Amino acid sequence: MSLNPRSVYIIAKKEFADNVRSRWIVALIAIFLTLTIASAFMAGGGSVGEMDLTVGVLMTISSMLVPIIAIMLGYATISGEAESGALSVVLACPVRRSEVLLGKFLGLGSVICFSILVGFGVSGMIIAGTTGHAQWGGYVAFILLTMLLGLLYVSLSMCFSALLKRRVTSLGAGVVTFFWGMIIGMIMMGLFMATGGSMNDLISGDTSSVPDWFWFSVFLSPQDGNQMAAMLAFGQTEFMGFEFDVPWITLSSLAFAQLLWTVVPLMLAYWWFQKRDV
Amino acid sequence: MHDSSIVIETRNITKRFKDVLAVDSLSMKVRKGEIYGFLGPNGAGKSTTIKMIMGLFHPTSGEAFINGKLVNGGGMELRRDVGFLPERISFYDNLTPIQTLNFFCELRDVDKSVVPSLLRDVGLEGAANRKVGTFSKGMAQLLGLAQSMIGTPSIYVLDEPTGGLDARWVKAVRDKLRTLNEQGATIIFSSHILSEVQALCHRVAIIDNGRLVAEDTIDNISGGLHIRPRLWIQSTGLNEKTLSWIREIEGVEDVAAKGDSMTITCDARVRLRVMITMQEGGLVIKDFRTVEPTLEEAFVKLLSEEGES
Repeated sequence: MSLNPRSVYIIAKKEFADNVRSRWIVALIAIFLTLTIASAFMAGGGSVGEMDLTVGVLMTISSMLVPIIAIMLGYATISGEAESGALSVVLACPVRRSEVLLGKFLGLGSVICFSILVGFGVSGMIIAGTTGHAQWGGYVAFILLTMLLGLLYVSLSMCFSALLKRRVTSLGAGVVTFFWGMIIGMIMMGLFMATGGSMNDLISGDTSSVPDWFWFSVFLSPQDGNQMAAMLAFGQTEFMGFEFDVPWITLSSLAFAQLLWTVVPLMLAYWWFQKRDV
Repeated sequence: MHDSSIVIETRNITKRFKDVLAVDSLSMKVRKGEIYGFLGPNGAGKSTTIKMIMGLFHPTSGEAFINGKLVNGGGMELRRDVGFLPERISFYDNLTPIQTLNFFCELRDVDKSVVPSLLRDVGLEGAANRKVGTFSKGMAQLLGLAQSMIGTPSIYVLDEPTGGLDARWVKAVRDKLRTLNEQGATIIFSSHILSEVQALCHRVAIIDNGRLVAEDTIDNISGGLHIRPRLWIQSTGLNEKTLSWIREIEGVEDVAAKGDSMTITCDARVRLRVMITMQEGGLVIKDFRTVEPTLEEAFVKLLSEEGES
């Protein structure tokens, strides 16, 4: 598969410029900045809290908000433009479909990454400046993981956009994708209880009776996996009130799973987009 | 070995959507330097064929070629020299026409300095800074035409180029197509307007129900169907009696009268005799001319034959 980087860049630049023009980027930065500062105050109980505690609060919102934003950015990018007819003019130019797809992914991805970087970055500096010290290592890892979560959901939503014929159905698929990440943990919990698991074992931290497959939900749900990775980045081993000590759940195994969640849908998107009639 | 005079070709190209056969084994050839009309009723398969030529639709079977090279869902480099206008033109609503054309210039690797003159060409210079989302269908269509001319391609593939335009712009676009053709461009365009195809095209493909019904010059299509030029005569004393008498003249096939004039279908050799016989019979001929067969007649006849077979 050959790619012309110039074409990829032109498509990516247009997607990014569109979001600058529509002031989406400004709005996103404002949202991320406000959320972080608000979380810091909540974590600090009235004054600006420490970074790890702030991230703990912030994550519960950002792990929902970032996927929603990414899905909003990506769900119509192929199905919507194919439906309106705008895509056929683009694809009638001397560009490859792979270049259009990658350009869109990189363009939309940089919209979400740039606003996360600026929004969280500036608020991180404010927190560090106010509290006098910072856990930059964990915080930077958290920013990177949130960016990865954004890219992951852009990739997922583009994947459905490439497969489905209509804008509406790909929006529906986006909603389903979002709730998948939300409920898979609960489904696993239900299965755990139904197979004779005990809540006490989880709470007490005695995970010897908890089967391995239960923990696998952090690989099935991009949102859960991302949250857990961010906690590990701060050296915490408590998750949703449960202690865990599973050797194969590490920051790198989680990050790798998140990467897979990003790359595999993108490859599927490429496959479907190539076959698609536009 | 590719015949370099063939610019666009399809070979038994077929497209099936679930249980609908949109294009059925269609083979056509567009020659270099001609305006090629793609004529057929709505839903005949014109747009589907055009999209397969442009590599936007994947044929179920068969092939499409541009300059002798296979397209079939790919053909990236082949499109560099092709200007394209899709049937339903749509751009990005939040861009201005200038931003839109700049984007397509970049994609086609053409200098953006051509944009102002392209906008002037289609009369959109006054709307250059409006958002395309506020454009009427006709304005979007004109912008689409401007877009197709980026980089002065040598091949144009235009799906209903005058659709949605008001009369003034229909004429301007037709003139533009003629000019482009005179400058050496090969143009293939689809239309369901017979007079437009007749006025512009060197050769015509007539397509119905996804099948090619005829592909030839308009004269040959008409000739092959035995649709001949007719004789129109304005004369005094036309009534039931004289008309039936004219019908008796040897070689006259049909006479259709309307007021003080009539249209006679007859062999070219018989025309003069018809007029002499009329004069001798006391009718005074005030005016006469030959009427060329129209594509419309050919079209109606072709499609009705198609329906019978």
